[in-house]
Amino acid sequence: MSKKVGARVTLMLGASLAVIGLVISGSALGGASQSCDTVTLNEQAWTGSTANTYVAKYVLEEELGCAVKITKITEIPVFQAMADGKVDAVLEDWNHVDQYQQFVTKQKSVVLVRSNGLVGHIGWFIPKYLLKQYPSFKTWKGLKGKESVFKSPESGSQGMFLGGDPSYVQKDKELIELLGLDFKHVTVGAEPAEVARFTQQIKQRKPVIFYWWTPQYLNASLNLTEVKLPPRFKGCQDDASAGGGVKKYKCAYAADPLNKLLSKEFVQSGSPAVKVLRNFKWSNADQNLVAKWIAGDKMKPDAAAEKWAKANKAKVNSWLK
Amino acid sequence: MTTLVADSVVAAPVVVHRPWWRGKMVQTGVIVALMYLAYRAWRLEYPWPVSLTWNTLPVHLDDFQTWLLDQRNAENPSFVFAIFDAFATFVDNLVAWFNRLLLWLTWVGTTVTGIVVALRFGGWRAAAWVGTAFAAVALMGLWEESMQTVALMLAAVGLSLLVGIPLGVVAGLSNRFMKAITPVLDAMQIVPAFAYLMPVVILFSVGPGAAVVSTMIYAIPPAVRITALGIRGVASNTVEAATSLGSTRGQLLAKVQLPLSRRMILLGVNQTILFALSMVVIAGLIGGGGLGDVVTSGLYSDPALAILAGVAIVILAMALDRSTEAVADRTDPARHHLSDEGRRRLHVMSVALAVGVVAAVVIAKALGAAAIYPETASAQGRLLARIQGWLDYVTDPANFVFKITEPVGNFIFVQFFQPLQEFLVQAPWVTTVLGLTAIAFIVSGLRPAITTLVMLVWIGVMGMWEPAMNTFSQVLVATVITVLIGVVLGIWAAESNTVSRALRPVNDVLQTMPQLVYIIPFVYLMPISGVPGIVASVLYAFPVVVRLVERGVRDVAPDTVEAASAFGATRRQVLMKVKIPLASDAIMLGVNQGIIMVLAVVVIGGLVGSEGLGYLVAIGLQRGEFGIGVVASLAILALGIALDRVTQATRRAREERVA
Repeated sequence: MSKKVGARVTLMLGASLAVIGLVISGSALGGASQSCDTVTLNEQAWTGSTANTYVAKYVLEEELGCAVKITKITEIPVFQAMADGKVDAVLEDWNHVDQYQQFVTKQKSVVLVRSNGLVGHIGWFIPKYLLKQYPSFKTWKGLKGKESVFKSPESGSQGMFLGGDPSYVQKDKELIELLGLDFKHVTVGAEPAEVARFTQQIKQRKPVIFYWWTPQYLNASLNLTEVKLPPRFKGCQDDASAGGGVKKYKCAYAADPLNKLLSKEFVQSGSPAVKVLRNFKWSNADQNLVAKWIAGDKMKPDAAAEKWAKANKAKVNSWLK
Repeated sequence: MTTLVADSVVAAPVVVHRPWWRGKMVQTGVIVALMYLAYRAWRLEYPWPVSLTWNTLPVHLDDFQTWLLDQRNAENPSFVFAIFDAFATFVDNLVAWFNRLLLWLTWVGTTVTGIVVALRFGGWRAAAWVGTAFAAVALMGLWEESMQTVALMLAAVGLSLLVGIPLGVVAGLSNRFMKAITPVLDAMQIVPAFAYLMPVVILFSVGPGAAVVSTMIYAIPPAVRITALGIRGVASNTVEAATSLGSTRGQLLAKVQLPLSRRMILLGVNQTILFALSMVVIAGLIGGGGLGDVVTSGLYSDPALAILAGVAIVILAMALDRSTEAVADRTDPARHHLSDEGRRRLHVMSVALAVGVVAAVVIAKALGAAAIYPETASAQGRLLARIQGWLDYVTDPANFVFKITEPVGNFIFVQFFQPLQEFLVQAPWVTTVLGLTAIAFIVSGLRPAITTLVMLVWIGVMGMWEPAMNTFSQVLVATVITVLIGVVLGIWAAESNTVSRALRPVNDVLQTMPQLVYIIPFVYLMPISGVPGIVASVLYAFPVVVRLVERGVRDVAPDTVEAASAFGATRRQVLMKVKIPLASDAIMLGVNQGIIMVLAVVVIGGLVGSEGLGYLVAIGLQRGEFGIGVVASLAILALGIALDRVTQATRRAREERVA
């Protein structure tokens, strides 16, 4: 009996709350903004993406009066999200060729906008202090015969090469073999785990060589230098998981302009935000700076974006044209 | 003298004397020695043959995904997709509605409502837990994200129960259905979520709907299993009595079986909530939002924030766990009988509390309380600085912590993990398949041995031999450490209430804290591939072993213990000669569950440097290698089934002997 009374009271309570809730939701729908409406930007896990997403958000909100929503959907599923019109734009995409084929070329549900101004470049990096003792480490040839400098309990007598995040483009196992280097390629996991591995070595001023890239905000504080790999040639490729002849990988990684993605639905909506996001362009240095404010100096992303936008009026204005 | 007595008391599980060479340990040892000789002789010479591999399987799976994508995004998609769309939209709206409701109530109103509901149905302790949780997330400055997570959980748990409890009732009534559904439930719990995120996204798009679906896949099994257990647990004479009085099947279920298993069903609700909360981070990857997002982006840009959000998840989980447990205890008909007076009081209390809630909301709104607890009034900044300070200290290689952990990690790697890994990966495949099958036969019998053989061959045929053996070596090392820690702590906790009480929050934290949050600091502490992954598995799995062992040792019949002590056995003798042998079933159950839990976090290992199946599953999602991800997940499932059957059969064999 008591249960029933209790249930009835909760039911009544629930019902009254439901009614109130519906009233609220109804009233919330009434006052949407006229000119720009809502724009949904997708932010990726890395800090650089936080930087460019929040700068775009600031500009769209301040200059166009848009309401910007930020989602955080991971790299591959976000393509389907754009096809469904649930995400309007991604401002930094690292050349997901298979997905371009499916969504941009075949389905035409996602619009690829080449170059956001950033140039992504992957390479083999070492801390600068190593060059003092081993100046020859500037190029891969100088590593030959001295691989054991990088040895660890994990690699035995070989040198240890810390590989990249499994989700990133890479060909280091193949490169090591093609260049005839005595390195053991060690898998270190996702980006934060890789950062943990090499910062631990660097803090102890030990030798370390690893897969790394730019733009990355940590580069500003870490003092790294890149090992020169063989020059690129025509048909030279970077993604070992794509398969094919192994010879194609014997070259440095390309310097690839990174791309923006817009959903087709958004492009066709006629929103003034489309033009601004198409124009959006900044440099590696810009992105690293804002990312450093956020991750290094623990500034709130909104505040960091505002600070940058106010200091770079000219750049912002060029997007608005 | 006393030993003799103790021995005779526990005669049952002690095996009769056998010639030494027939002992299982010796037989297993011989097999391992033979495998080792084969490894020394033909190392690296016989990897799994390409001719026995179904190479095109991942390609077919990729083609299937492309086909599905084409169908999904066609001009006129099939009406089937409309059904998925409708469901996703429904859940999206449901979550959004919960979210708006929590915001509309204002932070004051939400807190009051939560506390009052807990007070009415769970009592003071439950109310205190809920109040603490709200206060904590407010102080952490994570109010908005926490409410998003709560809204998502309300929908995910509600829908999981809506599906899980009816299925559990059917499974409780029908043995055939139970048999049919068990492997499906096993698969839902062992197959890593990373493998099915992409299909979920294709069918349900992204957002709360998709997040809820992927959460449901993991959270439904406990609801089904525990409900079935509850229905089956209703005493058979009660059921018979009701039947003989002429109850129909419907009446029997509605008036006898369901009410009597109510406590069990509520415990199922409790487990469903905890399982659902453990999916928060993964659900965040496909648009779940809330605390999961804070954890993911925190890992890259602000580890202290990731930890803070992890703690918020733990606190929500503990509050929900304790309050649903209190509700379950209260509704236990055996313990709780109300007089008419009591009922009337409860009635009055309900009305008073309902009025209180409405009044609180009205007053809060009138005074202009904010929808979310203002972040500026929180201690987030100070908390983050404190956590960062600890992190900096712990991860600084100049400190003594690192001076201990680094050599320990290296030791585990060089002495155990690497040799075992090389042995399993590089030995001729035939001797490994036959050897492991023989060991399965020795320790648990013919049927598990056949299962093991079939699963190993299936793994090889799928082209996953090498990564699977790599994963198997991680699982072995992790299981040994897990069982060692779990058994020791479990026995200790059974002997000492203080230890038991002290362990409970530790267990809660380890079970509900997203693994990535605490595993990244471990990469700093033990910077050697494979080891952080093993640590993640151990930390996730050992609490379960502790709990099962503790319960087993505590449940040893008190008169047996009394008898032994009456004959003068010391406390140590009682423990070693009576309690532990009698609790060996529970300990084996602990081993079994421990292995399954270790497998469940293999993917986390893949994210912190372990190679093998977990790594491939992670790549599957993150690089869009759908086929490989699915095949690797199937291999994890195959490995899990074999290990589960072998360890379960060992337990069953023991049980039979004891009986």
